[in-house]
Amino acid sequence: MENTETIAFKIIASVGTARSMFVEAIRKAKEGKREEALQLIEEGNSVFLEGHKAHMELVTKEAKGEDFNLSLLLVHAEDQLMSAETIRIISEEIIELYDRVN
Amino acid sequence: MRRVVLICSAGMSTSLLVTKIQEAADAQNYELSVEAFPIAKHMEAVEGADVVLLGPQIRYEMDKVKKATNAPVEAIEMTAYGMMDGNAVVTQIKGLLND
Repeated sequence: MENTETIAFKIIASVGTARSMFVEAIRKAKEGKREEALQLIEEGNSVFLEGHKAHMELVTKEAKGEDFNLSLLLVHAEDQLMSAETIRIISEEIIELYDRVN
Repeated sequence: MRRVVLICSAGMSTSLLVTKIQEAADAQNYELSVEAFPIAKHMEAVEGADVVLLGPQIRYEMDKVKKATNAPVEAIEMTAYGMMDGNAVVTQIKGLLND
């Protein structure tokens, strides 16, 4: 089990990348490139999953009653994770919207 | 002396990466200065930069940043960022600058 700082960075890197991909997907949809947009959503989802897996390590740690350091960095990682998930949900809807508009 | 600028959204994780990059560069006797800026300050950030690197969570603003500077702009590779791998980023920088 890695230390929480390392896990936090893994989460931030993965979900941060996913977040960017979801935003890029919206932009592709805006340009009328639906297939590329959907491709980016899919890539984003798989990258997000890596962050989610790392996050599960922490959840397991806590569930086992193991002590871990709740740092500002970890709070930031959690925040990034939620933000990425929210943007994914919205991006899927917006892609459909652009589809109707285009 | 190469001036490297990192752009991110929050600055938290990127600040640690700044230290790691500096350490890696010093160990290789590669002269560079590294500074991190939030995306909101990107116009100010890119002034005088030799190379601009974006954190993965801000990668989608690549075009915006490219418009603000003639320096090469690239996203920091996800794995290097996640592992806070200073050496990997220094390699990326050298590649971009042909150093």
